[in-house]
Amino acid sequence: MFKFVALSLGLAASVPVAAQDAFSATYDNTRQVTLKGPITRIEWANPHAYVFLNVAGADKIVENWAVQIGNPLDLERDGWKRSTVKIGDVVTVDGYPARGDALQAFAKSVTLARTGAKVFTAAPKRTAAAAAAPAPAPRWPDGQVRLGPPPGKKGYWGTPTASALVERTSGPVISMNGEGLLKNISDADRVAPMQPWAKAIYEYRQRRLLQDDPFTRCLPPGGPRQFQTPHGFQFVEQRELGRILVLLGGGDRNWRIIYTDGRPAGQGDDAVLTYYGTSVGKWEKDTLVVDVAGFNERFWFTNGGLPHTEALHLTERFSRPDLNTLKYEVTVDDPRTYTRPWTGGWNIQWVPDQDIPEYFCEDNAETTFVR
Amino acid sequence: MSRGLIFSVGLFAAITGFAQQGHPLTGTWSGDWGASPTQRNQVTLVLNWDGKQVSGIMNPGPDSVQLSSVYLDPSTWTVRIEADAKDASGKPAHISAEGRLEDIASYHRKLSGTWKQGTTNGDFKLTRD
Repeated sequence: MFKFVALSLGLAASVPVAAQDAFSATYDNTRQVTLKGPITRIEWANPHAYVFLNVAGADKIVENWAVQIGNPLDLERDGWKRSTVKIGDVVTVDGYPARGDALQAFAKSVTLARTGAKVFTAAPKRTAAAAAAPAPAPRWPDGQVRLGPPPGKKGYWGTPTASALVERTSGPVISMNGEGLLKNISDADRVAPMQPWAKAIYEYRQRRLLQDDPFTRCLPPGGPRQFQTPHGFQFVEQRELGRILVLLGGGDRNWRIIYTDGRPAGQGDDAVLTYYGTSVGKWEKDTLVVDVAGFNERFWFTNGGLPHTEALHLTERFSRPDLNTLKYEVTVDDPRTYTRPWTGGWNIQWVPDQDIPEYFCEDNAETTFVR
Repeated sequence: MSRGLIFSVGLFAAITGFAQQGHPLTGTWSGDWGASPTQRNQVTLVLNWDGKQVSGIMNPGPDSVQLSSVYLDPSTWTVRIEADAKDASGKPAHISAEGRLEDIASYHRKLSGTWKQGTTNGDFKLTRD
């Protein structure tokens, strides 16, 4: 029963993808910790599950460590069950320690001492689901592209090709991790054409390792961010009602309505400002063009912490060139935050034959730990 | 991990969870200014960023004062406020305040610094409501 903390400066700066987790702000992935001891408690809670270990330090004093092992939904999908380990089992944990002095770690692996079996391994990034065989985009009988599954089939939109929204330019790729944390803060100027105050706020958030992100407190991921969450999304096209529902697998199981009934775009002055705004869409050939306005200022509209104001106006373009690909492009127009409108986007891969995961972010579930 | 740390994490989440995430000055600020710790005057500022400048009023109501200028330097998070008010006797009294934003990530962020009104020098402390 021992504790070993090693500095490993050359460690790859990969970020385990854990749903709605302020990983970079909470854990230091430039260090490693090895913990061994009996499990004293198992917290099978959203958004993060923990096991607690009694670990004897070098001075023989026993410390109780909280080891985060991911969220229950992903754990179950990877074969881990609540009963995989039991209270009293001695395990060895290799992981990343928390920043500061907290007795907390993020597990990279958990090994059961009595069998030697590695019962948990955190993937740096969840493997993208196998794509369906190449096929044309499914269509409605009238020829309109379907954004949902082909008739009689299941599926949802899963892995995005970008971790954060940045302006689409011909310049070199901006290096950032899966949370949208820049590798070099000097790249902030290249992310978007920000006004000075906005750039200062963005850099402030980045320097604080995104610890102030409302999404990690389970607030809704409005704007483009809804298409960046780890658990995907689904379109439900209710053509007879003149609307398309966007159901989110992550976040708080939120949904958004895109009205396609011909109503005018835009918001009245007295409209209630919301996390998702008001969306009005129309088809331009095979592209769904959606006008969105009426956002509140209580969220970050992309990973990485780009700011916005109530003046945020988005023009989204969705197209499906084939069964497996959704092209998402968004033009951001917020003259109170940016010096000009700008455009970015990414592709999203179809996950065939599966229901959208039912992930639940429950704020403060972890803070019920009283130790 | 101590009980205190867990409580702090929860409190931090509660404080920041519903923060206004847009321009850091936008909103209603309440506090006071005065020449000494015992001589304080209540102050409410309502500020709004329109994309080019911050405008606002002091002490909304029948005796409100329009702020003539509000300037934010985002490189230092310092704020300068100018206004033309009246003192208790009704004489013009120019207000010049300079302060610094703190706890920017918090909904209840702070703004404090020096406040000069007419010939009186003092300090001010405001918290975003």
